[in-house]
Parts: sequence; C-alpha cells; structure tokens
Amino acid sequence: MSSSSPSGSGGELTERRGIPAAKFIQDVETYLSQSGLDPNSALAFHQERLQQYKVVEMKLLAQQRDLQAKIPDIEKCLEVVATLEARKGTGEALLADFEVSEGIYSRACIEDTDSVCLWLGANVMLEYSCDEATALLKNNLENAKASLEVLVADLQFLRDQVTVTQVTIARVYNWDVHQRRVKQVTPTAIAAADS
Amino acid sequence: MCGAQGSKSGSEMEVTWEDQQNINTFSRLNNRFHDLDDEIKSAKEKCDNLEDAGNELILADEEMVRFQIGEVFAHLPRDEVETRIEDMKEATCKSLEKLEEEKVSIVSQMSALKKVLYAKFKDSINLEED
Repeated sequence: MSSSSPSGSGGELTERRGIPAAKFIQDVETYLSQSGLDPNSALAFHQERLQQYKVVEMKLLAQQRDLQAKIPDIEKCLEVVATLEARKGTGEALLADFEVSEGIYSRACIEDTDSVCLWLGANVMLEYSCDEATALLKNNLENAKASLEVLVADLQFLRDQVTVTQVTIARVYNWDVHQRRVKQVTPTAIAAADS
Repeated sequence: MCGAQGSKSGSEMEVTWEDQQNINTFSRLNNRFHDLDDEIKSAKEKCDNLEDAGNELILADEEMVRFQIGEVFAHLPRDEVETRIEDMKEATCKSLEKLEEEKVSIVSQMSALKKVLYAKFKDSINLEED
C-alpha cells in the first residue's frame, strides 16, 4: 500500500508500508529558506529521522531472522512427509532414531500409514492425510517465502531512505560550514578595503 | 560502510538526484555483497559436509545407514542414502556456483559505481570498508 506523488525527486514513493520516504533535497539553501529552519534545527530533525529509521530497521531484521529460521523447518517437515509417502506402498516399516533429550535417542518403528500429525503451534497438533499435509506445508512454505521477499524489499527501501538522510545531513552541515567561512572572510575584506 | 563525509574545505558540492541514486545503489550492492559472502560460506560448508558424508558411506560396510531427515535419523538402505547424498551434493554445488557468479557481478558493478562517484566527489566521499 504505497503511494507515489510527484515530488522534486522525480516521482518516487512518499512512503512504503508505513515507512516515510526521505525527501531528496535539490538545493540546500532553497530547502532551508522554504522550510524556515536554521541549519541546526534541520540537522536535529534529520538526525531524529535517522534514529527512527534505525528502530524500524531493527524490527524488520528481527522479522527476517524469524522467517529465515522458519523456512528450513517447513522444508524439513516436507521431506519427512515425502519419505513416509514414498514408503506407503511397500509395507515396510521405517525405523527412525529420534532425540528424546540432549544426547539421548530412542528408536521408533513407523508402520505404513496414511496420515501424519502436524504441529500447528500453541500446543495444537492436527492429524492430516499425507496429501493434505503436503499441501498445507507447501502452502505455508510459499507464504513464508513471499513474506520474506516483501520484507527484503522493505529493508532495501528503508536502507535507501537512511542513505538519503545521511547524505542530506552531510550536505546541510557542509553548507553551514561554508556559510560561516564566507561570513568570516567578508568583514575582514571590508575592513582591509576601508583602511 | 560507505559514507558521504564533508570535504575538509567545506565547499559546496552539488549532489544531484542521479548521484543520490548511485549512492543508494552502491549501498544496496554493498549489503548484498556481505549477505552473499555469508551465504557462500555456509553453502561451501554444506558442500564439504556432504563430501565427507559420501566418503564415510563408502568406507562403512553396514547395509542400513542412519540418514538424517528433518529431526530424526531414519534407517535407510545404503543405496538410497548414496543417491540422496549425490542429489543433495549436486543441488548445493549448483547453488554455490550461482552465488559465486552473483558475487562476481556485484563486485564489478560496485567498482564501476566507485569510479563514477569518486570522479564526481573525489575526497568528499568514502566508499571503502572501514
């Protein structure tokens, strides 16, 4: 849900999923006179914006880590269900060693079966047929991958805004330093001309 | 990380939208480069592990091998395990190749952008790793 509006920066997004875009400044002097800010206030404003961006970035990175852990989990489940399904016709039981506690394993004998139980979270486990389980897991995997893609795009947008803000801060600061230098030189030149 | 710092003379340096976009692109590429490095490292590790597993399998003489599927170790016949390991090795090596290719492309894109940005900004910009 992003909106675009014509701005000085050539029709870019003004925000993306709640993250405000950093407006690119064509000319520092025009910006400062239009906004009525003195350099220090402008710097403070942009610094604060930078902090807010950092907070959002932390949140998004945490979400990304969660998703990146979830996806291999789902893939492992799919593998197990596929193995069980492959064994269905043969009538052989599958022997599996599983971890009971750290370093302690136990052996399970898995007979031919048509159904598996899937852990859904929140202390809930549901029984599904192998086909249904595969379909559900595949669906979850697709959703997780799609969410991850959107998240990565959000992070890229955010990083761009952070870069624009950092450059803006540098430019406003430079402009300010430049102005002060010019002001220092001019009175001396007038004094030299007078004498 | 790259940063656009003020030059020592504090001179007015015009930054156009195109420059800003170049800087943004460079930043994105740099991030992707670091992520790629991590991904390549873990893919290489996985490849090595599969290689070791394959070798162990040849040395072992049991008929039933315990092969990890998900969180459990399933007892599978040796041939099946061999096939599975081969498939996994092929998939991992292929993805490793793709990652390396992407890394090469990103490095060349980054050095092209560096040339453009240094040409315009000279000392006022720092694009090196710190």
